[in-house]
Order: sequence, then C-alpha cells, then structure tokens
Amino acid sequence: MDAFLASKRQFLDWLRHTAADTETFFPQPLGEASFQFARVRPDSPLRLEDWDSGTPREAFRASANPVPPGKLLSPPGETLFRFRRDPDGRLEFFPVLDDAPRIIAGIRPCDLHAIHLLDGIQSAGVPDPHYLSRRGHTTLIAHDCLQPCDEHCFCDAVGALRQRQGADLFLTPMEDGLLVEVLSEKGAALVEGAGFSPCGDREARLAWAEGQRARPFGRPLPASPEAIAGILAGSGASPVWREHSERCFSCGTCNLVCPTCYCFDVSDDIDLAAPAEGRRCRTWDGCMLPDFAQVAGGHDFRPGTAARQHHRVARKFQYLPRQMATGSHCVGCGRCGHQCTVDIDIYDIVKDLVERAGP
Amino acid sequence: MSASPLVPFPARLEASEPLSERERLFRLALPAPMSHRPGQFVMVSFPGVGEAPISIACAPRDDARLELTIRRVGSVTQALHALEPGRDLGLRGPYGNGIDTALLAGQDLVLVAGGLGLAPMRSLIQALLARREAFGRLILLAGFRTPAEALFRTEYPDWTAAGMEVHALVNRTEHQPWEGQEGLVTEPIPHLGLDPGRTLAVLVGPPVMYKFVVLELAACGLSSEHIFVDLERRMKCGIGKCGHCQIEDLYCCRQGPVFRLSDLETRREALA
Ligand SMILES: Cc1cc2nc3c(=O)[nH]c(=O)nc-3n(C[C@H](O)[C@H](O)[C@H](O)COP(=O)(O)OP(=O)(O)OC[C@H]3O[C@@H](n4cnc5c(N)ncnc54)[C@H](O)[C@@H]3O)c2cc1C
Ligand code: SF4
Ligand code: SF4
Ligand code: FES
Repeated sequence: MDAFLASKRQFLDWLRHTAADTETFFPQPLGEASFQFARVRPDSPLRLEDWDSGTPREAFRASANPVPPGKLLSPPGETLFRFRRDPDGRLEFFPVLDDAPRIIAGIRPCDLHAIHLLDGIQSAGVPDPHYLSRRGHTTLIAHDCLQPCDEHCFCDAVGALRQRQGADLFLTPMEDGLLVEVLSEKGAALVEGAGFSPCGDREARLAWAEGQRARPFGRPLPASPEAIAGILAGSGASPVWREHSERCFSCGTCNLVCPTCYCFDVSDDIDLAAPAEGRRCRTWDGCMLPDFAQVAGGHDFRPGTAARQHHRVARKFQYLPRQMATGSHCVGCGRCGHQCTVDIDIYDIVKDLVERAGP
Repeated sequence: MSASPLVPFPARLEASEPLSERERLFRLALPAPMSHRPGQFVMVSFPGVGEAPISIACAPRDDARLELTIRRVGSVTQALHALEPGRDLGLRGPYGNGIDTALLAGQDLVLVAGGLGLAPMRSLIQALLARREAFGRLILLAGFRTPAEALFRTEYPDWTAAGMEVHALVNRTEHQPWEGQEGLVTEPIPHLGLDPGRTLAVLVGPPVMYKFVVLELAACGLSSEHIFVDLERRMKCGIGKCGHCQIEDLYCCRQGPVFRLSDLETRREALA
C-alpha cells in the first residue's frame, strides 16, 4: 500500500480539517502534566507535546494519557438498549448500536496492540456487536515510538512495541516530518486528497527510524511472556501476592487505566419523564474492586487484595493469552504502576515472581 | 433474534406461585420454544431495575413454556416477585453448558440438591424421568433447613412413582409436619449401597455443601471424574465478556456452571 510524506504542520492541519466532518480524537493537554484523548475542534490547540519542537527521537512522547484511546470504543455508560412497557405490561426492546464514524489519532503501539487484542476478544465466542459496530466505524491513526514514553514503559518486553496490525494509517517520525503509511482501505480513503507527497523511499526511511530507536527500549523483563505464563500457573502459594498487595486499598484505578481491561457491569435507567421507558447501560468495572466477585447474600468468591491481585496479573499474563492463543495481554504501557497511589506496579510483581522462581 | 446478545426478548408471566416464604415458581410463555439442557440458565430482566441469572427449573419442552424458581434476595428478584401475571419480563439465553444427559445413559445417578439447588436439579430430574429406562438407579437427596423451606414437596410422590429413590431431609422439623427424614443431606450416602463402577453424582447447592458431600461420595469409592458440581458466581453477561464469573481461567457462564470435579481440583478458586 501507499506511503506519503507530510510535514508535521501539514498533518495537523489535515487532521483539524478532517475533524470538521468526522468526530476525531487526539491527545490534548489536561491540566499541567496530563493528557486526554479529546475531540478535535476547529480551535483545538493541537500542540502535540514535543511534536513541533522535538527531534525525531522525541517526536511522539505523548505519555501521561491516563485513559487509553481504546476506551473510546467502550465508552462508560454506553446504552445497550432502550425499552418500553405499555399499560398492559407488554415489553419492547430496542438494541442500540453506535455506527457513527470516528477517527482516533495519536495511538501509540502499546495502545494499538491493546485494541488489536480487544478486537480478538470481542469477536471471539459470542461476539459483542456494541463494541464491534463502534470499532468497525472507527479509523485508527497510530504511530511508532522511537523512545519509551517514560520510566514506566515496558512495551518491548511484552511484545507490544512492533504492533501495526489494526491501524489504518501508521506514522513514523522523520527528520523532515512524518512518514505516513497506509495500512488499510479505510486509511487509503481517509488520506485521499490530503495533499501529502508520495514517498518513494519508505524502506530506507523505516531503516533510518529503526536506527534511531532507543536500545534497550523501556524496562526489560527477565523472562519471555510465555515463560511468565508458565511461572504464573504455579504461583498460587507464592508470598509475592501478599507482599505486593498489603498496601493495596482496592480502589480499582489499575483496572480503570488499563488499555486491555474490559470487564463491565450493567445498570438500568428509567426515564423520569416517562417511567415506562428507559435504557440499560454498561459501565466499566474492575476485578480489583471489593465486590467484583460477590454474590447475593454477601459471599465473596475472591476475597482479599492478594487473591484479586493474583487474578489481575494472571488474567493479563496467563488466562487470556492461553484462551486467545496470543501473547501477553499486558501491553507494557506502564499506566497501572504510574497511576497507583501506593506504587503497586505489575512490572515489579512479575519481575519478582520470575526472579524468585529461579532459573 | 435481536441484533445483540445482551438485549432480552419479552416473555409473558403466565403464573407465579409461592413455593416457600422466599421462593416463587414462575411459569413463562415464550415467543418461541427454547431448546436447553438441564443445568443451563437464563438472564432474567425486570427492565428499569436490572437483570439476574436464574437457572431453568424445567426439562426442555417444545410448547414454548419455561419454569423458573426465584428466591427474593434483592432488588431484581424483589421486583420479579411483585410482577403480576399477564405482564412481561425480559429473558435471554439459554446460557452455560448444562449437562448432556446422553453422558449419563446407563449409569446409576445420585443427585444431591441443597436448598434452592433443587430448582436446577428439577430440570435434570424431569429430563431423566422422561426417559427413565435409559438410566440405572436414580437417587435424589434433597436437603433443606426446615420443612417450610422444602421446595417442590408436592412433586416428590410423582418422582417416586416414576422410579426415583427420593430422600428428602430437613435439618430441623421445627414441629412442622414433615413426611421426609430429619438430618443432613450427607447422612443417607453411606447407606445407599452405591456401586462406584457405575455411579455418577450431580451436586447442586451452596458451596459449603460440596465439601461434605464429596467426602462421603469419595468414601463410597466415587472418583472426582464421576462427580459433577453446579457452581454459582456473580454474572453480568452470560456470554463470557463481563469477567465477573471467572474461576481463574474458566468462565462459569460458558465452561460451566456444571463442572466435572476433576477439572476443578487444580483450581484454587473453584470451591473456595
Ligand atoms: C448460574 C446461576 C443460576 C442461578 N439460579 C438461580 C435460581 O434458579 N433462582 C434464584 O433465585 N437465584 C438464582 N441465582 C442467584 C441469583 O442470580 C441472585 O440471587 C440474583 O442475581 C440476585 O439479584 P438481586 O438483584 O435480586 O439481588 P441484590 O441483592 O440486589 O444483588 C446485589 C448485587 O449483587 C449482584 N449479584 C448478587 N448475586 C449475583 C449473581 N449470582 N449474579 C450476578 N449478580 C449478582 C446484583 O446484581 C446486585 O448488584 C443463580 C445465580 C447463578 C450465577
Ligand atoms: S491502583 Fe493500586 S491501590 Fe488501587 S486497586 Fe490497583 S493496585 Fe490496589
Ligand atoms: S496491566 Fe498495567 S502496564 Fe499492563 S497494559 Fe494494563 S495498565 Fe498497562
Ligand atoms: S457472566 Fe459475564 S463473563 Fe461470565
């Protein structure tokens, strides 16, 4: 497929232009040190942190996005269906599927990898049409990272850094702008008429970028994701779980910020103006919250922070990889460790497990 | 069918009868027959309040009728108890693996139900009795706390007449009339004369019951491959997506709720 070259200014102008027709999201500053994937408006200051001033090696330091872009595909509180009850008690249900076109730009490889893993999960078994409809109408513009976002990153150690599949356009920072690779029909349609210059030396440019990439890239892990899955399978009695969760206060932030967490709860809303009508909504839920595995009568099938921490880590590194026949479902974004108030870092837990398991 | 597996279809409540102080039997009319296995469940909605997983309490049938036993414990079940006959509730399913009765053919079967566990067990009982000749001995052990809590009491004589050895037990009679035995559901097990070479057991009840029943069955020589258990978990979807029902790597709503005990022995979360 095609490749183009664009200056950063050209790309941003094009993005703002595109956003006038199609709802478009891009990381934008949120307070002093944080970013969020926010809707691009005609007057959005697309400052793109470092993009304009940085050297290519720094071009995409878009870290500190506590809410991953993939969460836009399962927005909190999304309506699953509406219902209506007539005076005789007959019920009608009306499914709600979101088919509005959207563009999400500024997606890092870890977050792209996460979306790719979610695509697999939501298509497998009984597919989730609510996710898949929104996903199918969303165009993803991802970009390479030539240096780790911050000191929390370990995406390369879990095989997420090289992710391209799932993106429609893929950007690589160059000395003279951006290499824009078209990876899908959707991407091709989107850049048509953008006015970017055709690129004749894509391979040479990719090789150049590879040469610029930081080495080692982010924090290394002492074992492969496959080996970690094996170690986890025998870790039930390990003291690691207790040691790394004693100070956990079950706030669920680690679930909330994780790009591959997708567990949910549902709740019903009644229309106050018309009590016979309402909707069922889906909200994010997290396995670290104390009532996640509790049933009526109060019995908790996973009591205590150690058991819940074990579940969270095993789900990322053991259960889902085996169920889906994929690599790690932790994509090494570092958010959970970064955002946890008491510094519980999944990286530290896994490293500790591996080191104590011995050679 | 709806465009989404998370969207219910309407089912009409034809009748709801009290079975005990807390449980009612719901007879539903469906828009079309539902083919299900014993042990499967449905997600029942009272729109505006919420949804709850409820076991199917009758054998598969082709007349587009379904029976559920619902205990009033919280918001959804309370709303369902108050629903008047003739009005609709929401339903989706059936979900879960259930039991393949073909696997049970030719075997002696011990069915152990504790409390509300008799509701899903009733689905299996009806299915087995409908093909009584296909199975060996059929033994039911049903345990309750008191006679007032005993479910489907009026049906035991029919089950007995159809060829099932019925042992109904209560922990305490509390001076209420009781035609069954007094004691724990485990007590008859050593006296059943089970032949471990041709016996399978199916257990449905509260988690505390399993440990003791399994010990007694093991003492009779039954191995864990020959024991099936029906597990409860919190469930929000029934389709393997919401994550609530996970037992380590297993989804209770998909690979369960009926498990072979031998598949659970290595899983620390299973019978906790
Ligand atoms: C496979 C299966 C089969 C079941 N079969 C039956 C049956 O045949 N008859 C029967 O009476 N009960 C059955 N239950 C239990 C029943 O689902 C719960 O009692 C019911 O969900 C409680 O809902 P509530 O809103 O009335 O209770 P509440 O007390 O209001 O619930 C409190 C909170 O806990 C949640 N919750 C509690 N228990 C569960 C649960 N097991 N699954 C999901 N959420 C839960 C509720 O959604 C709510 O958020 C079954 C449960 C499972 C998993
Ligand atoms: S963010 Fe930290 S404190 Fe909060 S639940 Fe996760 S590990 Fe526990
Ligand atoms: S577990 Fe933590 S580091 Fe891994 S993907 Fe989730 S938030 Fe990122
Ligand atoms: S009930 Fe949602 S995953 Fe099993």
